[in-house]
Amino acid sequence: MPIAAAHCIEPGTKDFSVTPVTTSTERTGASREFESQVLSVEPIMGDAVLLTVSAPSGVLSHLQPGQFFNIVTRFSGSFDPLLRRPYSVYRAHRDPPALTFLVRPFGRGSAWLAERVPGERLGMLGPLGNSFTIPSRAQRLLMIGGGVGVAPLVMLSDEAAAENRDVVFVMGAADEAGLLAASELADRVEYLVATDDGSRGHRGLATEVVREFVQWADQIYACGPEPMYRTLRAVIEPLRINRRPSVQISVERGMACGLGACLGCVVETTHGMIASCVKGPVFDLDEVIL
Amino acid sequence: MTKADLSVDLAPANPHELRLQNPVIAASGCFGYGEEYAGVIDISRLGAFVSKGITPARRSGNPMPRIVESPAGMLNAIGLQNPGIHGFVKKYPPMWAKWTVPAIVNISAESVNDYAMMAGILDEQPAIAAIEINVSCPNVAHGGYCFGWDPDMSAEVTRAVRSATTLPIIVKLSPGASDIVSVAVAVEEAGADAISLINTLVGMAIDVRRRRPLLANHTGGVSGPAVKPIAVRMVYQVAAAVRVPVIGMGGIMGLNDALEFFLAGATAIQIGTGIFVDPGLPIRLIDDLAGWLDDEGFSSLEQIVGIANDGFRLGQRPMLADWESVGV
Repeated sequence: MPIAAAHCIEPGTKDFSVTPVTTSTERTGASREFESQVLSVEPIMGDAVLLTVSAPSGVLSHLQPGQFFNIVTRFSGSFDPLLRRPYSVYRAHRDPPALTFLVRPFGRGSAWLAERVPGERLGMLGPLGNSFTIPSRAQRLLMIGGGVGVAPLVMLSDEAAAENRDVVFVMGAADEAGLLAASELADRVEYLVATDDGSRGHRGLATEVVREFVQWADQIYACGPEPMYRTLRAVIEPLRINRRPSVQISVERGMACGLGACLGCVVETTHGMIASCVKGPVFDLDEVIL
Repeated sequence: MTKADLSVDLAPANPHELRLQNPVIAASGCFGYGEEYAGVIDISRLGAFVSKGITPARRSGNPMPRIVESPAGMLNAIGLQNPGIHGFVKKYPPMWAKWTVPAIVNISAESVNDYAMMAGILDEQPAIAAIEINVSCPNVAHGGYCFGWDPDMSAEVTRAVRSATTLPIIVKLSPGASDIVSVAVAVEEAGADAISLINTLVGMAIDVRRRRPLLANHTGGVSGPAVKPIAVRMVYQVAAAVRVPVIGMGGIMGLNDALEFFLAGATAIQIGTGIFVDPGLPIRLIDDLAGWLDDEGFSSLEQIVGIANDGFRLGQRPMLADWESVGV
């Protein structure tokens, strides 16, 4: 359970006046450096892959949706590209313990990673960051994913479905090839799509699809490019009452240390410049200055 | 099977001493205040760590982007985000008092008085093993010219800090100085117990798509393997010209890199960027160094310091090359 659950109201109590905590504000569990072995690499969403790697079981025991790992994306002995790349966990597997990441070749690091084959070894650091949290009384969850931003929302929706919550999962992509297959999500999840070119689902943005669900939802989650968050803010503002439901977003930043030491990954918030690898990458949309 | 002695004394003339169990130090800006890495590596094994740079006032730092990758390295323009001297002393010395690893505080300021002010405050704190003075800062009284580029300005800062504290003082030199040896000699004369180098080089990267600098600050400090040859050369030159211990840093990613610095004349080393990509590096390096010394038949680290440097501690300015060998 997330550390911040201490603030959530447990079913059966009479006091409903306390504001549910919307994010786990600190990194949960100790981060570790370890070596993984690539187990499988499967194409998905056009040019992306699902990369599954082994993991020590101790790493999985505290893992929460929204957390990420910093992965070395070069051969041993090489210094380019130097810095590790952050990848949110798409799915965690128990037996044998493994982690799946969604990797789209975009730059040199991601292109290298997407070319790995089973048997190769990868340097890993994590789990890092805080996580999405599901307030115990939130039954109706609205999730919005843009492109590869869906990755942490897949892990989140798996958890929500396992807890018998009602999930509406909206995904936006440039075209049909960039969409997640419905089979990747749990059966009870209602899955809606939007494509820029109209090749599948709503022609336009995912944020246009979410309008009708804003007031239905107890909690909203979003992960995608930053312009999507600005649009989302504009779409939901007239539909919320007293800033409810709140929106948990996951922000993407280039990383150096991943542990809150270098301050290279900060997000500007109403509380100041916050390292997105410790008290992030999940933030309350109302606190982030975009 | 005897294990080589890795211990080093970085302030032999200072009554406080700065004796470290080994020569591997985590560099400022790359290790936070120690707590960030405490769950990931066994920090008690480090020779010491240097905290993030502290300034007189609280600073929120630069806008993003603050970091950019560069060939075999990176640029950073964090902007010295830190709680300020008063916020710092409330939280960190009490925390460090419970640890065994020596903690060195890095200080940055824009006036001689501010350096002295912070040193005076730190002089009264528990659990601080030494002060590292970052002179790669603009001297506001002189048009923002960098202290570290001028021997006299660097000496003035060192003297002011020396007057304000009895703690061991390390002066961290800037590679931007046109003559880093003059700066090193000047700060030694002014009372530095040790000298560390190099700080980052000033660099830039441009986003070809947006046609703008990639860093919000435009320029940033270059670090990582790319800077190693420059760092080794400067350590070599400085270690010949001064007699105080020299602490070398710049792109150390493994044993061979570390050895280059020791052989050039460094008594200790700092690891900065290397820790980001390889948190296990400092501790692995300590073990690898001990193993190498044993294999090579050395009984202590001291025995290899400066042995590749003909001018080591001779107080001379070594001529690195003649025109013919340079190919001119």
